[in-house]
Amino acid sequence: MVEKYDPQMKNHQMSAWLDELKQKLNHMDDAEIVEHRMGTSASVYLVYIKTLIDPERLNETIIQPLDRSAGDSLSSCITNAKVSDVISIDDAEQKIMQGFVLLNDSVNDQWLGVQLENPLGRAVEPSQTETVIYGAKDSFSEQIDKNITMLRRRLPISTLKTESFTIGSLSKTKVVLLYIDGLINPEFVSLARKKINSVDFDQFLDSSQLAAFIEDHNHTVFPQFLQTDRPDACAYALGEGKLTLLVSNSPFALIAPITFFHLIQSPEDYFLRWPVASFLRLIRYGSFVVSLTMIPFYVALTTFHYQMVPLPLLYVLLESRSKLPFTPFAEGFFMIITLEIIKEASLRMPTKTSQTLGVIGGIVIGQAAVEAGFASKVLIVLMGISAIAFFLVPNYQVTKSMVLLQILLLILASFLGLPGIVIGLIGILAHLHALTSLGQPYLAPIAPFYGKDWNDLFIRGPLIWMKTRPKYLKPLRKWRQEMKK
Amino acid sequence: MKSLSLYNRTSTLGGIYFLFLVNRMQMHYFILIMPVYLVHSYMVWAIVVMGLLSQLNLMMMSKWFTSSYAAKGYQGFLQLFGKRAVQIFAILGFLIILLKISIVTLGYVEMLHSFIFPSMDKKWLILMILLISLFVASHGMENTLRFVVIAFLCGAWIVVLFIPFFFQADASYRDLYPLIPTEWSGQSWQGLWFIWSAFSGPVYLAFMVPWLSSNKKISKYLVIGNMLSIMEYILLFVASVLFYGSHYLRKIDFPIGYMGSYIQTSGLERIDYILISFHMFNYVFDISILLLCFYGAGRIFMRKMKERSTRIGLLSSWFVILISIILMDQWLWQTVPGQKMLLNLQIWIGACIYLLIPTILFTAVKRKESM
Amino acid sequence: MVPYKHYGLLAIVGLMWMAGCSSPYVENNKIEEIAPVVFWSIDKGTEGKLKISTLVPPLIQEKKRLLSKEVDLLKQGGQEFNLIYYRELKQGQLRMLLINEELAKKGGIEKLINTILVDPDISMRVYLLIVRGDFDEYIKNQLTKQENQDYFLYRMLKHYEEHNQGEMSIVNIHKFMKKVYSPFKDPILPVFHSDKNNFNYVGTALFQNDKEVMVIQDVDDNIFQLLDNDHFLKVLAIPKFSISLGRIRSNVRMKLSRDYSSLSLHVGLKGRIEEYQGESNIQSEELLQHLIHEIEVYLEEQTSDLLKRMQRLKVDPLEVGTHSLKAFSKEITDEQWMKHWENMKINVDYDIKVHPLINGAVDVFQNK
Repeated sequence: MVEKYDPQMKNHQMSAWLDELKQKLNHMDDAEIVEHRMGTSASVYLVYIKTLIDPERLNETIIQPLDRSAGDSLSSCITNAKVSDVISIDDAEQKIMQGFVLLNDSVNDQWLGVQLENPLGRAVEPSQTETVIYGAKDSFSEQIDKNITMLRRRLPISTLKTESFTIGSLSKTKVVLLYIDGLINPEFVSLARKKINSVDFDQFLDSSQLAAFIEDHNHTVFPQFLQTDRPDACAYALGEGKLTLLVSNSPFALIAPITFFHLIQSPEDYFLRWPVASFLRLIRYGSFVVSLTMIPFYVALTTFHYQMVPLPLLYVLLESRSKLPFTPFAEGFFMIITLEIIKEASLRMPTKTSQTLGVIGGIVIGQAAVEAGFASKVLIVLMGISAIAFFLVPNYQVTKSMVLLQILLLILASFLGLPGIVIGLIGILAHLHALTSLGQPYLAPIAPFYGKDWNDLFIRGPLIWMKTRPKYLKPLRKWRQEMKK
Repeated sequence: MKSLSLYNRTSTLGGIYFLFLVNRMQMHYFILIMPVYLVHSYMVWAIVVMGLLSQLNLMMMSKWFTSSYAAKGYQGFLQLFGKRAVQIFAILGFLIILLKISIVTLGYVEMLHSFIFPSMDKKWLILMILLISLFVASHGMENTLRFVVIAFLCGAWIVVLFIPFFFQADASYRDLYPLIPTEWSGQSWQGLWFIWSAFSGPVYLAFMVPWLSSNKKISKYLVIGNMLSIMEYILLFVASVLFYGSHYLRKIDFPIGYMGSYIQTSGLERIDYILISFHMFNYVFDISILLLCFYGAGRIFMRKMKERSTRIGLLSSWFVILISIILMDQWLWQTVPGQKMLLNLQIWIGACIYLLIPTILFTAVKRKESM
Repeated sequence: MVPYKHYGLLAIVGLMWMAGCSSPYVENNKIEEIAPVVFWSIDKGTEGKLKISTLVPPLIQEKKRLLSKEVDLLKQGGQEFNLIYYRELKQGQLRMLLINEELAKKGGIEKLINTILVDPDISMRVYLLIVRGDFDEYIKNQLTKQENQDYFLYRMLKHYEEHNQGEMSIVNIHKFMKKVYSPFKDPILPVFHSDKNNFNYVGTALFQNDKEVMVIQDVDDNIFQLLDNDHFLKVLAIPKFSISLGRIRSNVRMKLSRDYSSLSLHVGLKGRIEEYQGESNIQSEELLQHLIHEIEVYLEEQTSDLLKRMQRLKVDPLEVGTHSLKAFSKEITDEQWMKHWENMKINVDYDIKVHPLINGAVDVFQNK
């Protein structure tokens, strides 16, 4: 809804707008309306919010040129910043709130806006959530323009399109949709556009909130958008035929459509030698399964299937369980919750105290629980393995949600033993199977089955073999090589 | 009543699904008791012969898959047979599917019951399996059909664990002699029927064509899927003959299960518990597909094809199945003659529909085309 | 979409189910509350009863004691033990079944084994042992001397079962029952001798029609291991020639004549001389060949003697009968085979190839 500049309003608008602006900026302590005398002729009104703008640049770009100017038009004397027209009073208000300085041009009788936003933000830092040893060390920050720059540097092509949207009635958050035109399946773009346009909420403080509004399934623990603050991961995804959403004031970009397997893959997989990367990836999948099923399996064995334990191991189990007051289920549940408490606390605590926490946690979980007869030694060992295995999954959101699945399996195991665990697994797989991310199946390329994409699934095949883009994304350009278009 | 889009389709499933579907639908309860019915080592030829015949049958069905009537689903059937006949078929199908689901479930529950939870009330196991099947089925036909890939990946590896039985110290190849049938009795005929019936699973695919793609290349996948099943049957049968010898084999009720319990690793013993549990993937897939077919057949004979499918409808067909399984368990399955009767009934019906349906469809299409 | 709201309905059904049906669990397998039995020892009791005993508590480092009961039925024993002991005895970890030789000679052990076999908790890998003497006495005596006697016994059996090491015939329930039910095969079991202080391997018991008919020991047992059971022997000591052959692998070829009237048995042995205490100079090739020939003759005699005894008792544990099976003809029955077996002429031929005793050994004959 772009309002047209109405020349008829010209005459009366100068003073009228000033009054209206004054009224709007009433009770805003940091709003300033300054009258600036320009040497000889008339004065110029500057309207801005001083906390939003950069005062030094105000001085450099507006005040000093105005002082030096000799009756030139306003727009001609402001040379080192972009000057834009203000077309309506609403536009004026919006621009002020975005860090513009408004000035009135009494000669031409019009209002001009100069963007002098204070670039408050942090420097480019290495990613804290997804660390890699090799690979680029920069990460996104809260400034969306900087983030786009990082992507543009990695993909210096004109087909990398950026479309911006503004969402949130209070937060007025800027959302930028990025994709490579002519490569991505256009369905994704139109679907994403449609979904973003229909978002209606007041505040968006992080990209995950946006994800909650545009994802296909709300009642699930699995994220349908990959959140990452790594520009290289985003660029790779764009190149594969996915789209990326950047949200202002959030260092996390959203990538879609993703599959379940993306949550277990790490950007570093593509930087290592392929056998090594494949091995690591297999270990990650393995540890995903282990961390999910190990404690339930222990509960199933100790509650129902003592026959399955080999005799030497049975000695250990009997010995360690025989003095405990709790059932295996209660023991397992108790320990899982304790571990979660410690994990959660270590996140929220200031870094200086976290060492204390580590010691206390280690003692509580490791030794005291056993000695006080709260948990068996075997369980502590399993607990330790599964807790560490959890951290092998690179996506932190999944790590958190997996605990819920673990508890679900634990309950089923305590009811029905091994068949219970399998029932739980069937349920989880059926659920995953029915999920979609931006309309695309979540378990691709397994179901639906795309055999060709398997060289980048459980193993990470040699890059020279990955000649095509993933088939399940149905990209417009299938080949990664230039020659085969 | 809220509507539930169970039978929607967004995309058709490609050729490789035929491979998985054919293979998985041939692997259910019958493969677990198969050695008891075959017994003699020379019956391995029965598997081969019946497998090849089933191959022919599938080729015939692939003609049906590619016909234009199949792709139209219900409307296609109406055009071929007329409304009345389709309704009669639906009622027949309703009963046949009910029987099949019941026997597949009861058989598997029996297995769970006798190996893992010998003292548990069987009704609980029935309820649990049906509940999880309902959950899978409630995602709709397309999703359930696609679930076959997961069922395949989670179930097919089990066979691999039986390969070591070929290399055991007391497995002598002389246990396989004689290789040709030296005597032929009623039991051998029954074995043949049994195998034919065991291979009959894919017949239900004939009614799912709208969700599957119907290009020309599918016959290749049908053949490969069937081949895989034949190989699995042969592998398991030969392994069980080597392990037990044919004389001991006829005295065992669940040979494959007990063989599983013989597998031992240093970290875990009684691997059968894991194998039997994972076999559930297969059953749940089978039962949920059949549940959807069952509801579909019910809708046809209740003349509700024009209305949308509802949750109540799915739930009530689920209840019908639950109740019928429990009644069957109470009245028939728990006695030996009753169980025999049910199994024989299923063998005969399975074999008959596998013979009849492809032929009927094939001739009907041919007749219409010539008209 | 998933009908989430209807799960409520299903939950109600589930609850009704719970109210309507019996509780799902009637068995408690919680690992800390049970006592998994590792072995049953079965002896003949008074008045045709069975005397069964086991060690409790199994697997736990508490003071152990031997429980024994005289019962009519095997399962009854387990039940009665539960009444006198504070943990429930569970059979799912049963590893050994020791049967007294008296009982085995009287017959009826198949029934005992069947009882074990039909229990779904018990695996088919339970080892079967025949015990000569009083096992209870031995265990009682050992209680104070060594902990976990039962477990170590199991470990020993498992050790010799793996890789068929040719020291003992180790048989589990499955192997035994397979031979019981199959024609042309007669089951065997290991025999152990037990008294107050010792528990040692004696030889192999041969069964026919559910009865122990013969026990083969020492050299005979060694030959038996070579001929059928393991086809491997770690040591074959022949005191008569003051020689030990070691690490012997055997290659047995049996050939039945068409009318089943004769059997030619060719045994090829490959191994090494590991010890020689005799007077002959085996460094010399000629004398070594001579010695080997003597051994061959000796083994041939021993083997024919062993086979003759088997023929007399109508047992065929070597599964000679399976050689009558042909790929393309009808099999003969077990009875028919036994008739042939009884009167069969057997030619035994040994062929020994050994690695001489030179490598690194001191040449004791050099200075003579």
